[in-house]
Amino acid sequence: MKSQDQRAQFDAECRTAGLTLSDRDRDLLYDMWLEWLPQRDLLRATSPKPEDEPWR
Amino acid sequence: MALSVGDLDLRAVSDALGQRALTSVEATEAYLRRIDAHDGVLRSYITVTADAALAQAKAADAEIASGRRRGPMHGVPIALKDLIAVAGVKMTSGSQVLADHVPAQDAFVTRRLKDAGAVLLGKLAMHEWAFGRPATDGPFPTGRNPWDVTRAPAGSSSGSAVAAAAGLCAGALGSDTGGSIRGPAAMTGLVGHKPTYGLVSRSGVLALSWSLDHVGPMTRGVWDSAVLLQAIAGADPDDTSTRGAQTQDYVAALEGGARGLRLGLLKRYYVDFPGLNDEVRAAALTAFDVLRKEGAIIEDVDAPLLDLALPMWQPIMAEAYEYHAETLRKSPEKYRDGLRTRIYMGALVTAQDFLHAQRLRERFRREVDALLSKVDALIFPGQMTPAVKFEDFPTSGFAPASIRYTAPWNLLGLPAAVVPSGFTRDGLPVSIQIVGRRFDDATVLRIARAYERVTEWHRRRPDPARWRL
Repeated sequence: MKSQDQRAQFDAECRTAGLTLSDRDRDLLYDMWLEWLPQRDLLRATSPKPEDEPWR
Repeated sequence: MALSVGDLDLRAVSDALGQRALTSVEATEAYLRRIDAHDGVLRSYITVTADAALAQAKAADAEIASGRRRGPMHGVPIALKDLIAVAGVKMTSGSQVLADHVPAQDAFVTRRLKDAGAVLLGKLAMHEWAFGRPATDGPFPTGRNPWDVTRAPAGSSSGSAVAAAAGLCAGALGSDTGGSIRGPAAMTGLVGHKPTYGLVSRSGVLALSWSLDHVGPMTRGVWDSAVLLQAIAGADPDDTSTRGAQTQDYVAALEGGARGLRLGLLKRYYVDFPGLNDEVRAAALTAFDVLRKEGAIIEDVDAPLLDLALPMWQPIMAEAYEYHAETLRKSPEKYRDGLRTRIYMGALVTAQDFLHAQRLRERFRREVDALLSKVDALIFPGQMTPAVKFEDFPTSGFAPASIRYTAPWNLLGLPAAVVPSGFTRDGLPVSIQIVGRRFDDATVLRIARAYERVTEWHRRRPDPARWRL
């Protein structure tokens, strides 16, 4: 994904989350979010099994 | 009093009290003098409750003198991380949000310690809200490592580690959500024990992430941690996670040795990890050889889902955003920059990601439970690196890479302890970690003690002459 697309995705996720941030916080959070993306992708790529039920 | 109290471990203080070689007032005064002399540099305390501590010590001495010693903690001066409530004593969590907060009631663990006759010296420095970073400035500095005051003791139970390692208390309680007991204990040459989730109540303890938070001891010796755990473990109706708490006699099991115990070495994920410091690795491998010589049977094991542990841990930390969201919205300026951003990250976790992580957490639990049906405990190096200089501590990212060594065990709620296993060429402590079966904290401590009793690392003390800036 291009960096401008990533920034647009990040801004959209912030809006969805209802976050109202200062410019500085938004930039800091964007850097952290970028760092997190590979881990999130890894998590999302792993399919739970039917027996993976947390409150069994 | 010929004893140098600051050099003693909790057991030696307790034994001296029991033998009447030392009074609780003498011990308390000695710690208070030491705090007065050194904490201007070490900055391990946020609040020192000298008058209350001396009153508790006098009462303990009176009871002990009349032949009514309640147990090994009676008269022993200890201190608590500043997120554990003590009625009438300021509790800040290292945050400007709570700078003037004074709880009206004791936490469950505080009540237990008072019932055991412990003397409470004060409240200990910590990373802001147990999730911030080391700080040497501002209203809440997080403490300096007594082995090298230019280095951070890690966190978040930084003051607990500094005070216990520097002999400014006989032992301390910390809390651990991703490694906040074990990390700082490893960096300061202490035993740090994260008990089984649900063994120690968190009522009256400020939350970071409910399903990951644990309260436990940080001490110079394994016996010390065992008696502290004994005092605070058990069911509390005000913390439903403790409904099924199964306590053991942690002291009685300590000297059982390692002979015949099967230990699984998590080699691939931990020992072979390229980021592991060479000196930490070498010391750990030597320590495992010591356990082998003590009769333990060590075999390589693996839990492939460890690779997903940190991707699971992070979304579950969204619990911290839920806890802070309202205060953050009203008073964002009361949080330091780095912490504010880390908490905001929780807002970007979708419900689907959160539940996905919870489902995989369950699979991870089954995988490790299966491993622990074949071995008595898991072993690996205690931390990724020795203590780092303040300026080298990571300032970006959601969490330091080092939580690889600790956070998976918060996800699973299994008992985990670090025990000192050597020193680097620069004189910094390193450690090994032991993880056991749910509610089998006694075996974890027994293995730690089996190692401790044939090594000398736990006897080394940092040199107060070096506590200068």
